[in-house]
Amino acid sequence: MLTRFTRHISRQLAAHLDGQLVQPQAQQAEMHLRECARCRTEREQVRRGMQIIEHLSLVEAPAALWPSIEAAIQENRSRQAPTVLLWRWAVAATLLLALAGAAYWRFAHPSGTRWEVVRLAGSPSGGGKPIRGAGRIGAGEWIETDATSRATVKVGEIGSVEIAPGTRVRVVTARPGEHRLALARGEIRAKISAPPKLFFVDTAAGTAVDLGCEYALSTDERGFGLLRVTKGWVSFQWGGMESLVPAGASCRTRPQSAPGIPYFEDAPESLKQALESFGFEKSGGDALGVILSESRVRDTLTLWHLLSRVDAADRGRVFDRIAALTPVPAGVSREQALKLDPQTLDRWREELAWTW
Amino acid sequence: MLRLGIAACAMAAFAGDFTFTIGSPVAAQDFRAKVAAFVFRTQGCADPAKSQISATAEGLVKGVRRSVALKVEAMPKPGVYAVYQNWPADGHWVVNLKGTCNEANAGAIVPIGPKGFVRESSKFFPRPATNIEIEASLKALAQSENKGENK
Repeated sequence: MLTRFTRHISRQLAAHLDGQLVQPQAQQAEMHLRECARCRTEREQVRRGMQIIEHLSLVEAPAALWPSIEAAIQENRSRQAPTVLLWRWAVAATLLLALAGAAYWRFAHPSGTRWEVVRLAGSPSGGGKPIRGAGRIGAGEWIETDATSRATVKVGEIGSVEIAPGTRVRVVTARPGEHRLALARGEIRAKISAPPKLFFVDTAAGTAVDLGCEYALSTDERGFGLLRVTKGWVSFQWGGMESLVPAGASCRTRPQSAPGIPYFEDAPESLKQALESFGFEKSGGDALGVILSESRVRDTLTLWHLLSRVDAADRGRVFDRIAALTPVPAGVSREQALKLDPQTLDRWREELAWTW
Repeated sequence: MLRLGIAACAMAAFAGDFTFTIGSPVAAQDFRAKVAAFVFRTQGCADPAKSQISATAEGLVKGVRRSVALKVEAMPKPGVYAVYQNWPADGHWVVNLKGTCNEANAGAIVPIGPKGFVRESSKFFPRPATNIEIEASLKALAQSENKGENK
């Protein structure tokens, strides 16, 4: 009776909920809970805590956290508490410490690690301070170069970005899963050696998404610019539209407009000029006619992109021109291509890429 | 001419012959190939995993013939391979590709110019290329580079 009504069972609640209490302790706990509102409240709190723990996803804790965790476990061991309860509390304490550590880490480092910036020439600045030799820069900070200065940024572990003169660029995110810059104006040259979609550059006209590549991207404050790819692929995206730019090709960028249609740099000048007119001035049939007639096999890169950008009535002309330049592969039908079926277009692009 | 070459390759592939198709690294659709000299794929082989592929770089450096064994790296997509440059930068070089699939053979000679592989003057065979064909390609490459072509 004394135990039931005057000694609360806080320390037994976890074991009780876990079914670890043996008789008669389990029965005594049940009887106590029936008549003790305080312990019933505590039981619900413990139950909710256990449910939360069970649904937590695993997060890698900072290495600096482990000494405190080990100390907490050691302290619990030295108390010689009952095994089950000790285990429960040790896990709970560890998780709480890990969560608190992760929260602190995230708060102290809002977007991950800091990247190394090295001066190449002149007087670049990083985070508002001059970079004399090398410095570090983190999320939210700007790197600026004047007309005579250049710098290079080590992008985490995946590559580097050279910052040309007259450039203003901000580190948006610096985490292992996302490396993101915002290019306000000027030019950068990126060399990335990583799986696709780990490195992004935002501009006023859209976002360059690395697909494993090397490229140069220039823009002015309004978003007028040029993307030139020298190795691999870059996807330039805006408003749900995308231009896939392979090595040797370029694409213009304009604000509030679909990404420019990519073209190979060795394409005929007449094709490039017509593309400029078609892409941004919508001059209509004449430009399309020139593009179609001037295209070489390799320019199916441009034609493939045009297929989904021209009016529906013109799609057939584009399809026929590609088909005249290179055989249509198995799995690609005219009907599906004109409907812009994504699978058909992907299949065709992958095949056409063998001529690019 | 280029169109005819591509059409010929494609027709051979559709006819079911075992052939090679070459492309720039972007054709592999894999970021690891971005620094490759070029990529190629086999066609007309029912089980690409069982095909045997090898490559050598054949060069002419200051008038001396040289041969370098190349590592051919298989890409994730079956039947697609990457060739990386590990031959010297100086001299004139072609890559000699050889492949077998069951009883079928395929060969190709891919000239390497200052800007990379030269698609237009690549040659494809239903057998390994002969030494005479390799020598002829090297000679043609040297002559065209001396004339300033392929630049």
